[in-house]
Amino acid sequence: MNIEEFQKVLFAQGREAGFTEMEIYYANGRSTSVSVLKGEIDAYNIVESGGLSFRGLIGGKMGYSSTERLDYESIDYLLDEAGSNAEVLENEEPEELFAGSGHYHSVDTYLASLIKTPPGQLIEAALAMERIALNADHRIDMVRRSAASVSESEVLIVNTKGLNCHRKHSSASASIYVLAKESKDAKETVTGGWFDFSLRSFDDIDLEGVALTGVREAVSKLGASTVPSDNYPIIFRNDAATSLLSSFASVFSAESVDKGFSRLKGKLGEQVAGSNISIIDDPLMENVPSSKAFDAEGSATARHELIKDGRLLTFLHNRKTARKAGVQSTANAAKGGYKGMVEVSHHNLYIAPGTTSLSEIIRETERGILIVELQGLHAGTNATSGSFSLAAIGYLIEHGEIVRPVNQITVSGNFFELLNGIERIGYDSRFIGSCTSPTLKVSSLSVSGA
Amino acid sequence: MLQEQVIYRVLTAALETGADFAEIFAEDKTSGRLEMVGGTLESSLSGRDYGVGIRILRENFSVYAYTNDSSEQNLIATARSAAAAIRGGAAGSRVMDLRRTVIDHRHVIGIMPDSSQKKRNIELMRRAHSTAAAYDPSIAQTKIHATNQLQNVLIANTEGLLVQDMRVYTRLGISAVAEDGDQKQSGFSGPGAYAGHEFLESLDIEEHARKASRIAVTMVKAAYAPSGRLPVIIDNGFGGVLFHEACGHGLESTAVAPGSSVFAGKIGEQVASPLVTAVDDGTILNAWGSLNIDDEGAKTQRNVLIENGILKGYLIDRMGSRRMGLPSTGSGRRQSYKFAPASRMNNTFICNGASTREEIIANTEYGIYAKSMGGGSVNTATSDFNFAVQEAYIIRNGKIAEPVKGATLIGKGIDCLSKIDMVGNNLEHGQGMCGSVSGSLPVNCGQPTIRVSEMTVGGRKGE
Repeated sequence: MNIEEFQKVLFAQGREAGFTEMEIYYANGRSTSVSVLKGEIDAYNIVESGGLSFRGLIGGKMGYSSTERLDYESIDYLLDEAGSNAEVLENEEPEELFAGSGHYHSVDTYLASLIKTPPGQLIEAALAMERIALNADHRIDMVRRSAASVSESEVLIVNTKGLNCHRKHSSASASIYVLAKESKDAKETVTGGWFDFSLRSFDDIDLEGVALTGVREAVSKLGASTVPSDNYPIIFRNDAATSLLSSFASVFSAESVDKGFSRLKGKLGEQVAGSNISIIDDPLMENVPSSKAFDAEGSATARHELIKDGRLLTFLHNRKTARKAGVQSTANAAKGGYKGMVEVSHHNLYIAPGTTSLSEIIRETERGILIVELQGLHAGTNATSGSFSLAAIGYLIEHGEIVRPVNQITVSGNFFELLNGIERIGYDSRFIGSCTSPTLKVSSLSVSGA
Repeated sequence: MLQEQVIYRVLTAALETGADFAEIFAEDKTSGRLEMVGGTLESSLSGRDYGVGIRILRENFSVYAYTNDSSEQNLIATARSAAAAIRGGAAGSRVMDLRRTVIDHRHVIGIMPDSSQKKRNIELMRRAHSTAAAYDPSIAQTKIHATNQLQNVLIANTEGLLVQDMRVYTRLGISAVAEDGDQKQSGFSGPGAYAGHEFLESLDIEEHARKASRIAVTMVKAAYAPSGRLPVIIDNGFGGVLFHEACGHGLESTAVAPGSSVFAGKIGEQVASPLVTAVDDGTILNAWGSLNIDDEGAKTQRNVLIENGILKGYLIDRMGSRRMGLPSTGSGRRQSYKFAPASRMNNTFICNGASTREEIIANTEYGIYAKSMGGGSVNTATSDFNFAVQEAYIIRNGKIAEPVKGATLIGKGIDCLSKIDMVGNNLEHGQGMCGSVSGSLPVNCGQPTIRVSEMTVGGRKGE
């Protein structure tokens, strides 16, 4: 059964079963990816899959269910499960489906030609990157993974109130991950990697740039050692700052706020960060992978300033949290794939870039640590309290210069305090995911080492 | 799930371009998740995952493809498009004799999960909420979830294997948040088993609820952990995540076979303190990480990894077996049909030693007592690991003193294992989800109380 046919049968049977309003959220994706190891193809994946989430109002409550199998048997499953799920719900807040926004911005995120990139080209690219990396530096012990891929995906939301939203995304990427050693017999191994992507064409990716950056990332960590435990000025390079921001992005969700999982509760209109900090969610940016014209409820997306010059202006809302708070939805309804309920999430959240380069920030640091990698983010951060304690890799800075690599340290602090103590903001934002930060420098954080 | 005739034809198509092995993994999985926030049932979700993964090997080259459309026509087309990547030579002409193997379901499932248990589960969840909320006035919020999963798999390959298995998982997760002024801290307890609804009925729910609240309340009033290198006592149960991260991942053939693990080539060598014997056992009855057969159809087994500090073995899947020339250890696992299998842990633990917890604490003048662990991660190439401590205390003069929060432990695998200088006699297992190349999987991490003579503790100095 194709999706249109499935939807019609599902809605017809759903009406008979007592659902007054119904919606499907259908997503599917295709990708081809290749990785090589030691001059040979190591893995080659060709995948295609999709799934459908159903939700419907029955007895005044919204029941959810999902399936990856589009057949008649699944229609019974979806309706039965959605019905019994609705029945046990105890939250009294009414939910309703949405007929759609009057106007949607056009966001160009799809090129049909991208998925047709010849697999041979992906294989050649992965082999080329491996060669370049191995030839670039004799200390590269092994290219653990050199990979290339193309993918595309689509989302379709249709409901009984007339909503019909459809979008497609496509992208290409190349990545490398290398192991470096000082010599064959050396005990110490370091790792590093890099990746780049294009939303237009696989040819646009600078393969040599990816390979050489991956090599540089690894070999520059050779000879790393710890530092004495102390408080240090810390520079989070853009990628490390981005992973930190991602870990705490949920604090801006009105759902987290409402349920008591965000310390920003009750702080609307207040100064919650330094006056140099602005945080924006902009799903309409050009050439950014997570841009989109509508959210998971079919609301037209728009740019929102969450924090402006340090002041908290809004939380992120879907229609339900907005109604509860007596505001308009910010069109931040999200679904964790096609399985979950409608929740709240950012689309393309970023800290507004500053005007300084990373090298200038390093130059003006008398003594400090530049952090390029944070580890254990899933366990070492607490979004509720804002606290973090994370293993880190980076470089020691003395008199404005990098003097040596640093490992076996942890850096600890609190995200909310951090937002109030940022001394310098880089202009080096790299929009590669749904969260982006430029390089950030803070005056002091606790570092554990020797 | 798939007819033998269809399987035969798909596997034949997969061999057309010269592959030496092909495999089908079909999966039909239903799952349910209930979530209660502050005592109110906020969400109830049900879903059905369904798909087929086709893997084709020629020597060390692997092609993986998957699809949700299990029609014969589509499966053959998928097999052919995957086979097109194998440019080996002559088509395989072997005659497959698919011998349906009936496996011994050793793990007895009492009550199969289905939606009729929703209301009873909600009652049990409410008990967890009431106990957690009543524990202390500072408990400001609770979040309870109950999940169940029924995964039916069919695995067939060109060596003639045809086997079906059913995996049933049940888990309860209890989070409590304590507030003290501007401070918020959370605690968690998440018991789970390879079992049906009877697991929740037999669980001491109140004990788990009190544990989650105790952690939150203790931590919200705690000062920050000190920084630096200290002796660390890691308590029994989920504390075994230390071994899981510091060593377990580095013993998986996915890392060992290409030589990108610090444990590669070290069989027979001393890699840990002589006090350490460590095992990965996929056969423990009804344990969260157990399986009758792995996701390549091989029987799970008890694999001794380290014996008295000497490295004895690795965790090997089919691909690892090809690369390393060693037999599979029944360790090929994948989250779903969307992942090619990889060597993974099941139930990993450090075996009992001779000391009691009390002796270990009494023998420590100053250090950290990590009573309850959070999660962690490792870089297998460097063996740098980290993990978060959920609930920690200072040990002073051989006694447990004040609680401390925000402690992260970091180190290097072999270095840390060699510094284990006391091992307790109170082995227990805890449940976790392990994320890696082949997805997120249920695993047990277990150990008795152990002491590491020196580890880097990442707290916050001067606060």
